[in-house]
Amino acid sequence: MSKNAKIAIVDDEVHIRSLLEQTLEDLEGEPEILMAVNGLEGLALIEREQPQLVFLDMMMPLMNGYDVCAAVRKNPALADVIIVMLTAKGQESDRVRGLEAGANRFVTKPFDPDEILDLAREILGCP
Amino acid sequence: MIKAEHYLKPAWVRRQFELVLPMLPIGSSATLQLGGKFLVEMNESGQDLIEGASSVQTFPLMLEGERVGALLLCLPAGSKIEQEHTLGGLLAHTLQGMLEAEHERHSVARETLESYREMALLQRAVTNLNLSLKPAAVVEALLKEFDRRAADYGAVFVYAADSGGYDLEGSFGKDAVQAFVKFKNSSLSADLVARTTGDIINDLSSSTLWAGEVPDFRSLLWLPLIAHGEKLGMLVLASCRTEWFSAADLKRAQTLSSVAATALRNAQLYAAEQKMFQSFVRVISTAIDAKSPYTAGHCRRVPEIALMIAETVHHADSEKFAGFVLDEDERNTMEIAAMLHDCGKVVTPEWVVDKANKLDSIVNRIHLVALRFEVLRRDALLAYYRALAEGEEQESIEAIYQERLRQLDEDLTFLEKCNSGGEFVSSEQVLRLKSIARQRWTDARGQTHPLLSENEIYNLAIQRGTLNQEERKIIEDHAVHTINMLSQISFPRSLRNVTEYAAGHHERMDGTGYPHGLNRDQLSIPARIMVIADIFEALTAPDRPYRKPGTLSWAIEIMHRMKLDNHIDGDLFDLFLSEKVYLAYARKHLAANQIDEVDASRYPAGREA
Repeated sequence: MSKNAKIAIVDDEVHIRSLLEQTLEDLEGEPEILMAVNGLEGLALIEREQPQLVFLDMMMPLMNGYDVCAAVRKNPALADVIIVMLTAKGQESDRVRGLEAGANRFVTKPFDPDEILDLAREILGCP
Repeated sequence: MIKAEHYLKPAWVRRQFELVLPMLPIGSSATLQLGGKFLVEMNESGQDLIEGASSVQTFPLMLEGERVGALLLCLPAGSKIEQEHTLGGLLAHTLQGMLEAEHERHSVARETLESYREMALLQRAVTNLNLSLKPAAVVEALLKEFDRRAADYGAVFVYAADSGGYDLEGSFGKDAVQAFVKFKNSSLSADLVARTTGDIINDLSSSTLWAGEVPDFRSLLWLPLIAHGEKLGMLVLASCRTEWFSAADLKRAQTLSSVAATALRNAQLYAAEQKMFQSFVRVISTAIDAKSPYTAGHCRRVPEIALMIAETVHHADSEKFAGFVLDEDERNTMEIAAMLHDCGKVVTPEWVVDKANKLDSIVNRIHLVALRFEVLRRDALLAYYRALAEGEEQESIEAIYQERLRQLDEDLTFLEKCNSGGEFVSSEQVLRLKSIARQRWTDARGQTHPLLSENEIYNLAIQRGTLNQEERKIIEDHAVHTINMLSQISFPRSLRNVTEYAAGHHERMDGTGYPHGLNRDQLSIPARIMVIADIFEALTAPDRPYRKPGTLSWAIEIMHRMKLDNHIDGDLFDLFLSEKVYLAYARKHLAANQIDEVDASRYPAGREA
């Protein structure tokens, strides 16, 4: 992982942000972790910082995850951003919608920290 | 471990500095150092540090009684130290407060994450470890949870009730089986097996019970597998490095092992139930076979033929058998159905099952008839001597006497032939039977009776075989009894078709069979296989007392006729023939003199022949 890898967490729930942040701090190479508390802020953050990896909640105020995802996919400058969508357990239709919006991967909440770490390592190319 | 450098965000600290620095003399600068790193350095105009600061004030930042960093204020010469110190103290206090709040937040998050981990692990383990009801599969799933990063070696030993010891049920690692066999023979293993709680040995060389039996093993983690208070086995993980396993590893292993132990117990209970059920089935089928020498071994051999045919059908590349898949459940169902197909015979009276002659009852009554003939013979002799005493001419009475004996012999021979059931009895023969029957004999009390009773005439007059109508009904009833008996067993879902497969073995494809008169379309492929297996076994059985064992060619010839009569399934018979299933079975079970050449060209495949 490059020293200045950036990971964005976009979720309106503070505990999810906290827990994701805490989980990702165990990653090797100390990536920079950025956070946004709603969809609009999240989209602005992604456009400004161009992180390699985004954890994106589906249901958020102001702008939901699908719309953020779709907007990111429309921007050629953000073509390489990997978007991991956070879904509630058991909502298969959400996945279909997420895939249509251009999400790369899905993680169900409550998430397994080891699954998040494995996923981040794989995406960011850690050993 | 405290990672203080993560707690304060540089952007937030910068904002604090921006608020405070303007209150300090021109040329002042502030620096935040955390966890050995300089996180933020800034002067009052937001520019680089100015050389030549005259005094540096240090405000330590503490967490849990340890110094984790400091706020440094560099002030230009001539500053009013006191006021600046108060401002610096205020800033440090703010940073300290934020640091503590973040530290708390991180610890709560870390604790929560541990619960998340445990929950996720449990969730996955409950799913993965309960996928199968086979003990070996449960063990494999448990070991799979460790075989990636957690350990170099792993093994599960399972308690074996018969040997009283522990058997290696599964393992991973380099030459794992050999390694764990050596491990099992060590004093350490004997000691661990006896314990009821798990633990870690950080450095095996420090253990007095370990003589380096497996050089690769440097540290060890073991756990007993306990379910419902019963010790079922032991999980052992080993590493090539010392100090490899942590308390968290042990906790994780405990979580997984508790789930695995329950799954293992369920699997063992299930296996025991299955074994018991199978032995019950064997008891019943052995009882049927033992009941009559005429069908000995039948219930043992029919399953073999049926499964051989089923295997062939499973692999046959034909549309005709589409939809038939011989998976494990289907195999079990067919085997049990084939073993129990004749279970109704348990309630069929053996004098009917074994009725080899028409006058067989509990005894073969032909001997009673022969006795009556003996009475008649003596009557004749008596008449001869009485006539002689009365002075009749010897020559003529001798001739009458001899003629009478000849007649009696002829009649008895005729009756004996009728009794064997070997030949068709014509209506002329029935008339002769009745005329013989009309002769009378005298019993011990001097009463006379017809030579043959109505019942004896009725049985001797049976046209084909040895069974009269009522008895044939009783025999056919065995299929009904089979159904009645089997339908009382509450089979599990995987075996729900046993009754259907077992009950249909006397049905015919044209619907003229018994007990239900089902036709081909109403019979499943396995049921149709049963029909063929039952007939083929009956024809080739080596142990029927009433006839020589049939040869292959004879059996196939008869079965081919049954195919043409639409009694057995033509497609299955064609496959039975073309794939030489009969030969594979014959080589295993039939005597050499039964195995002759079958001319397959005589039996073209297909419906019209």
